Amino acid sequence: MEKEIVTLKEKLNVVGKPKRRVDAKEKVIGKALYVDDLRFPGMLYGKVKRSIYPRARIRVIDTSKAKALKGVVAVLTAKDIPGKNMVPIIVEDMPLLAEREVRYIGEALALVAASSKRTAEEALKLIKVDYEPLTPVTSPIDALKNTSPKIYGENNIVISYKLRKGDVESGFREADVIIEREYRTGYQEHVYLEPQGIIAVPGPNGSMVIYGSLQCPHYVQKAVSYVTGIGMNKVRVVQVETGGGFGGKEDVPSWVAGYTAVLAYRTNKPVKLIYDREEDILSTSKRHPAIIKYRTGAKKTGELTAVEVKYILDAGAYATLSIPVLWRGTVHAVGPYKCPNIKVDSLAVATNKVPCGAFRGFGTPQVIFAHESQMDLLAEEIGMDPIDLRLKNALEEGDQTATGQVLRESVGLKETIRRAAELSNWHRKRREYSLLKGVKRRGIGISTVFYGVSLGAAGKHLDKAASLVHVFPDGSVVVFQSLTEIGQGQRTVIAQIASESLGVKFEDVYVQQADTSIVPDSGPTVASRGTLMPGMAVIDACKRIKKRLAAVAAEMLNTTPENLVFENGEVYNVYKPGKGMLFKEVVKEAYNRRVNLGAEGWFEAPFTSFNPETGQGEPYFVYSYATHIAEVEVDVETGKVDVLKVTAVHDSGKIINPATASGQVEGGILQGLGYALMEELQEKDGYILNPNLTDYLIPTSMDAPEIEVSFVEARYSKGPFGAKGIGEPSIMPTAAAILNAVSHAIGVRVFSLPATPEKIYWTIKGSGRYT
Amino acid sequence: MYINRVNTKILPVEFKYFAPKTVSEAASILNRYGEEVRILAGGTDLLVKVKQRLIEPKYILNVKGIEELRFIEDRSGEIGVGAATKLSELVGSEIIKEKLPVLHEAAEAVGSVQIRNMGTIGGNLCNASPASDLAPPLLVLNTSVKAYSSSGERVIPLEKFFLGPGETVLKPDELLVEIKIPCPPEGTGMSFLKVARTSMDLAKANVAVAIKLDGNTVKLCRIAMGSVAPTPIRLFQTEKILLGSEFTDGKIERAVQTASEEIKPITDIRSTAEYRREVSKVLVRRALKKAYERVKEGEING
Ligand SMILES: Cc1cc2nc3c(=O)[nH]c(=O)nc-3n(C[C@H](O)[C@H](O)[C@H](O)COP(=O)(O)OP(=O)(O)OC[C@H]3O[C@@H](n4cnc5c(N)ncnc54)[C@H](O)[C@@H]3O)c2cc1C
Repeated sequence: MEKEIVTLKEKLNVVGKPKRRVDAKEKVIGKALYVDDLRFPGMLYGKVKRSIYPRARIRVIDTSKAKALKGVVAVLTAKDIPGKNMVPIIVEDMPLLAEREVRYIGEALALVAASSKRTAEEALKLIKVDYEPLTPVTSPIDALKNTSPKIYGENNIVISYKLRKGDVESGFREADVIIEREYRTGYQEHVYLEPQGIIAVPGPNGSMVIYGSLQCPHYVQKAVSYVTGIGMNKVRVVQVETGGGFGGKEDVPSWVAGYTAVLAYRTNKPVKLIYDREEDILSTSKRHPAIIKYRTGAKKTGELTAVEVKYILDAGAYATLSIPVLWRGTVHAVGPYKCPNIKVDSLAVATNKVPCGAFRGFGTPQVIFAHESQMDLLAEEIGMDPIDLRLKNALEEGDQTATGQVLRESVGLKETIRRAAELSNWHRKRREYSLLKGVKRRGIGISTVFYGVSLGAAGKHLDKAASLVHVFPDGSVVVFQSLTEIGQGQRTVIAQIASESLGVKFEDVYVQQADTSIVPDSGPTVASRGTLMPGMAVIDACKRIKKRLAAVAAEMLNTTPENLVFENGEVYNVYKPGKGMLFKEVVKEAYNRRVNLGAEGWFEAPFTSFNPETGQGEPYFVYSYATHIAEVEVDVETGKVDVLKVTAVHDSGKIINPATASGQVEGGILQGLGYALMEELQEKDGYILNPNLTDYLIPTSMDAPEIEVSFVEARYSKGPFGAKGIGEPSIMPTAAAILNAVSHAIGVRVFSLPATPEKIYWTIKGSGRYT
Repeated sequence: MYINRVNTKILPVEFKYFAPKTVSEAASILNRYGEEVRILAGGTDLLVKVKQRLIEPKYILNVKGIEELRFIEDRSGEIGVGAATKLSELVGSEIIKEKLPVLHEAAEAVGSVQIRNMGTIGGNLCNASPASDLAPPLLVLNTSVKAYSSSGERVIPLEKFFLGPGETVLKPDELLVEIKIPCPPEGTGMSFLKVARTSMDLAKANVAVAIKLDGNTVKLCRIAMGSVAPTPIRLFQTEKILLGSEFTDGKIERAVQTASEEIKPITDIRSTAEYRREVSKVLVRRALKKAYERVKEGEING
């Protein structure tokens, strides 16, 4: 009997099932409302006047003609900002509107509100800005030279980190082989389907409501309060359906909302501000371009003895999120490998270009490209199979990471490598493809990664989450939480967690969109924390409610609360299955007895630490792991690459919803494929040359390879039902795996991303291998 | 809060819109408004430009509702195609597949299903993009096009049709009504190839070839390329190398070399001139070989 109870309790009815997305139908039939679908009485249209120079002094901004245009209600510059002219991100260095100097093309100078979008656009043309152009600094290498103009602090360095472990010099002395190379990666644009958009609505008593397409409602609340001077208690941010974020709606909506709120404040009218695609590409954050110098030492037998990395990010004109992006990149610079001697130095350098920020992977895809290329070069050098080399060095339970953290649980890394090798037929294909001759060559390549889930030590003060759960007299449940649905399936997963925790039917749970006036600050929707953090907070609230209901149900069923099972909308005595009651009968009785069926839940992230001098500590409380194996075909006469298949094996702990998790992985792979081969934002002297989707290309469904996804579920004891995170690991290994496959196919290596056909063509040509 | 039903994004300009049902109605609208009208077929080129405000038309004339502009006709020896025929209709047409397989291949290489369901053959030619995928095959097929205006009709050889990027010989009051494609002589082998950045992109370079042999002697040779000059072009110098001589690897290599000298590629956002020149060689070589194989297959099957 004892045993049976255990299995009964562990049986999951909703979690682990491929439940249909709660928002699927409305989105598919076009009923879901995005910010541009909303309208308010008397609403005005906002527009932003932007700098056309990468660096210039502003002499005068003449708004008189624009103000005189019929239909224009307000034209505002920095001096009209009611609160602080500052966007609060991590450090305060970025004004909402440039006042004396512009530092990148696209930087905001003035705002217009008018009765129509067209009038607002006309008004922009009438604003005359008198600039005194200054010499811009557009490459991080130039910015680091002594002779460079100082555009940020004393030395143009926004932030730097170091990580020290063991003694790299002796590590390199012990090495039988040393591989030293330099890698470069380019920008990547998010290309979320829906551009940035906000509506600000002034309300009674000096309050303001913000509706927007965003990832981090609490950030926006703070920013709006800053720039308008309205207390945070009177700023309410309501998230509406959001057409994708990928990190691009982490910090940027803070200033989009800042512009809109200032216009709404000054006009006392609702104002809508929606970016065009070109405006969005020119003026919003992107993945940082990077330069990575990498030196790896190893024994003939494959064990790493030393790793030395210099990692430089091109931050753009302001710090924004470069600080945590670089930190994450630094912590992950060595990859998921054991190595006793490590030295990492990293820098984010200011340039007169659009500030780079958060993008899925957050500073890791760049270093992964480097460390995974290094692993393959090493494997080649010592004549070892790339899989064997990785298995030899891969982290497992009890091992120490680069920061000296001992991994105590939930390390599925080796299993992801082994399974990916097996599912992809690695050994056979590696052999067969090596023998191919002719114009079309095939290759197979691997990349393996780890990813610290949630904000880690650098963001620990933000790393908590709240929830609010109400059970109504009809037995239905509403869940409020404050992380956002941005297309990843977050609301569905939260509904599954609530439904499983309370033992109610999935269909009876409704998860509300985030609203800052309802749920306490739960931090941002970033860092693959959207399941783990709010999931735990929801479980906490459900537990409280269930305890109260159990007291009632135990009396009704003549038993003790410990014997009760809540499952699928029913409550029964575990010893008398089939003789229970409906959940809603218990709820009804609880209401009769005036039991409180609403509860708040709370979860604080487990312990993390980081020593800024040595980089040692426990930067993250748990890690996800992933291995991708890519197969490609390369036309050696044109350099064109077709990605044939990607096999993706992920350890993200318990998978709450295999359908949405697979969706994340598939999307990540496609985005990673674009990063690897196609997406090239062309920039010259601070000007972006292709700010549109005609010239900046992303993969379409026709470029999608066959994708096989598999999950290793190494459960995490402090995650909801054992879950960790998957949003970012899904893109992280892809580009490196594809590049390793390309190099296997053509026998030479490309050291920069994206590896466009032309780059591959000239690499092949330059190698003299095929004549 | 209300649901917004106002279009705030797609087209930032205001214009007057005509949707005539006949060619003669269309012609009289064109006659009346001349340069201020823009003809809209599928809109897959035009609307992109309007959205980017590269053009701000005062009047838009939609020709998609003109039934007489949508046909594919087999007229023994010539295939006639209405200018407003959709690319997906070309792809689906048995006549085209059988008689002009190279046009079928090229139409299938345009954009995506969505683009082919909207885009038309007339729009593809009148847009006069150097990168048009239909122009090279139509050029090697010796196509001519028929223009119509209130003052009459004229037939223009496609070779003379393009003037430069976005420019054709059509006058502001003229409407393209028909594409007249002579069926190639029995035994002609043809091919079309394209290199692009992604599956849905315009060509970095494309090529079409038609050859016919007598024994192994080249009796007919036409080669056309796109994206390597201001307009789609025939490679007459290259054709001359092959015409009348034996079809050998040596000759192919000379033709490939000549082609790379005959084209005038530029560097733009999509590609560099150097790469275009290199890849053009590969395309010409492959297209010649593929056309040759098809000649041979035809000999076996026929
Ligand atoms: C995402 C995307 C991918 C694409 N990929 C390709 C590709 O791979 N290959 C390719 O070749 N093209 C491609 N295109 C371009 C375009 O789709 C094709 O050129 C298409 O055939 C244009 O036809 P349309 O009917 O849409 O032209 P429209 O946009 O309607 O018209 C194009 C031009 O022709 C004029 N015009 C149209 N019909 C007539 C007429 N009967 N008489 C006189 N003038 C006329 C219009 O005024 C306009 O100037 C792509 C476009 C997009 C948006």
